[in-house]
Amino acid sequence: MQQFIRLSLILVCLSLPRFASAQGLMDGFMKGDRKASLAVTYSQETFDTYYRGTTPFRDPNLGTVTTQALNLYGVYGLGYDLDLIVTAPYIRTEASAGYQPKQEGFQDVTAALRWEAFDYKLGKARLSWLFALGYTMPIQNYVNDNMLALGQGSKNIDGRTMLHFKSGSFFLTGQFGYIRRGPVTLDRIVNVYDPSQVNPNSGMKVNVPDVTEAIIRTGFATKRVYIDVWGQQQTPYAVGTDIGPGIPFPTNAIGFQRVGGTLFLRLVGRLGLNFGYSTTLDGQNIGKSTRLSGGIIIGN
Amino acid sequence: MTYTSTVRNLCLSLLLVGAGLTGCKENTISEGVLPYFEPATIDPDGGTWRTVLLSSASAISVPAPTAITSDAYQTELTSVKNGILTSTPDQNTAVNYWGQGGVVRWNQIARQLVAKYNTAPVYNDATGQYLTVDPSAPVASLPFATRLYALLSAAQYDALVVAWRAKYQYNRPSLNRQNIVTRLPVADVPSYPSEGAAIAEASAQILTYFFPNEATYIKAKATEHKQSQLWAGINVASDVKAGETLAAAVAAVALNRARTDRFTTSTDSWATMKAKAPYDVTWQSLEIPSRLPVVPLAGRVKTWFDSTTVAQLSPAAPPLTNTTAFQTALAEVRATADSRTRDQWATADYWNDGLATYTVAGHWNLIAEQLIQEDRQNELRSARTYALLNRALHDVTTTGWQAKYTYFVPRPAQLDAKIKTSVLMPNTPAYVSDHAATSAAANTILTYLFPAETTWLKKQSDDAIIATLYAGTQYRFSIDAGVQLGTGVGTLATNWGKADGAK
Repeated sequence: MQQFIRLSLILVCLSLPRFASAQGLMDGFMKGDRKASLAVTYSQETFDTYYRGTTPFRDPNLGTVTTQALNLYGVYGLGYDLDLIVTAPYIRTEASAGYQPKQEGFQDVTAALRWEAFDYKLGKARLSWLFALGYTMPIQNYVNDNMLALGQGSKNIDGRTMLHFKSGSFFLTGQFGYIRRGPVTLDRIVNVYDPSQVNPNSGMKVNVPDVTEAIIRTGFATKRVYIDVWGQQQTPYAVGTDIGPGIPFPTNAIGFQRVGGTLFLRLVGRLGLNFGYSTTLDGQNIGKSTRLSGGIIIGN
Repeated sequence: MTYTSTVRNLCLSLLLVGAGLTGCKENTISEGVLPYFEPATIDPDGGTWRTVLLSSASAISVPAPTAITSDAYQTELTSVKNGILTSTPDQNTAVNYWGQGGVVRWNQIARQLVAKYNTAPVYNDATGQYLTVDPSAPVASLPFATRLYALLSAAQYDALVVAWRAKYQYNRPSLNRQNIVTRLPVADVPSYPSEGAAIAEASAQILTYFFPNEATYIKAKATEHKQSQLWAGINVASDVKAGETLAAAVAAVALNRARTDRFTTSTDSWATMKAKAPYDVTWQSLEIPSRLPVVPLAGRVKTWFDSTTVAQLSPAAPPLTNTTAFQTALAEVRATADSRTRDQWATADYWNDGLATYTVAGHWNLIAEQLIQEDRQNELRSARTYALLNRALHDVTTTGWQAKYTYFVPRPAQLDAKIKTSVLMPNTPAYVSDHAATSAAANTILTYLFPAETTWLKKQSDDAIIATLYAGTQYRFSIDAGVQLGTGVGTLATNWGKADGAK
């Protein structure tokens, strides 16, 4: 049963559309030696307001942006204290107004290792300290410099640490991560006005700002039902740009504050269903989006 | 957990935390590095080359310099020598920056400013208001940009022809020949008057006319450029002074032309023009809320090449929307948009050159910059290259704009809303394609100037020409008409270049 719970925590994973956002790399529940699970999740996310910098903005030439994602997520226990996690989403994103074509296709593949470094017993409760290291790369050369882009197109390294506390069915997880995003090459020469450039108009390669991420998640996990609420804060670490004419989208500094909740129900045997909801409270160069998701989890 | 494994895990943990927290400072845009070079030629006959704005180089007389044996000169020379020995890091940075070539640098500055001012009002539906814009700031549209590039290049070129004439008239020896080692490789030309100062003064005056809000920034750049000639050991103070003076005289002529070339940002009569359009379905802005066209009267601006000849190159009337020719063209746009490949998207994006960029004309200036560097052109030849290119680009844009606001041909998506464009819709009528016209003209003139790059230039031009069809914003007939116009004007520029005295 624990395995269902573990997976149910992850709805859509590491890499998501520009205006979507991850609910965090992973949770604090370990998989277990030589155990595996597979989840297929569908999510739909919409926004009609986005943040240019931190200013809420609604573009009548864009209307409502809808992003649908089908996400494959697998986890395998390499050892009692080491899990391998792999994920790959297929995404479609489109705008209700204007003339921008929809973008559709596989986005990024991510592989991550999660390691339970320490495990303490505190009476009946347990406290574990985990680390995770992930690598993300685009599956294909999708368009990255566009409002509706599938993703930023960068290769990322994601390192994070988690403290996971569990007492009976109650649990509380806090995690902090740093996502290092590699540079991307645009289709075009960047010639937007930037007084700091010594040789202007010469580059197609731009930096994607790194981000830090903090997530707190708490809830109850029993044999048949799992429920949680969470809050996530992503903050741009490196200096980035704001959405604007001519500004490459990948260089924008993206941050957000989101809250959400998850419900997992065990059906029969090794089959379970999960549902998720999240909404954006505040953001920077990102859509003020609301997401609904649902999925099936199979595993031992 | 054993003691050893705890220690091992602790070490690994610290390593991971350390790796996670180590962020680096990164540049937003990776820049190329430009090479330094000694110009390939010195062109001693440069003073006889045909001028653009002036009747000839002799129209502006440059006073004779003091002899190098004079005390005044020796004092200046000593000052330069001492300056080199006591140079500061800031001065070295300035020397390196301007050492890439004054003409190239001022062209870059012009392109940067065009990108900065190439704006459109941005409407926020959440507040029902436009994002704040400075009403006094000019809008650097394509006609504005080509007019600026042409005037800048022509003024630089004429100032340099005048300077070259005086250089070989007075033959004040270069500082390199007076036991001064310049900080960078420079052309071995007589030092009086300073070509750097001439470029700086002419460029600053033209740019300030176009961007009055940037006067302080431009003046600072010009002052630094002039000073850098002393810091680099290229010129003495009297060389710089003479360069500055002659360029101010050329700039006065250039600005006089600018004031009387009929350019206006007025949109008053555009509705009347549209009502008179000899076309069955006329253009409307596809933006929400709809936006006025930018500089609809730019087709009336005075051309650089013979106006009658240029007018004869005006494109013929486009097919009406109810003709088979038009419907076939529209269907092709739709089919291309529906099946757009990733490579086609990339080509369309590479040549988008839309808002907040230096425009498609600026893109060709960047290409010219690369060729100038490869060919190691001296300042005079660089200016000639730009003057030929940018006058041609100005005239094609003017003629193209005339057609746009004569026929008011709608963009494809106005007639078939299912056509999705990979770039933001340009807020101008379709016919003729300014990308095609500009690129065909640029290809013609640059192929003449850089024959070794013929194949590469053709590839660039072919991509640029077809890019708007890939983007879904242009019809093939509009592109073909643009190519014809561009090739025609490009040939005018080439003919001018063949007869201007430069070999």
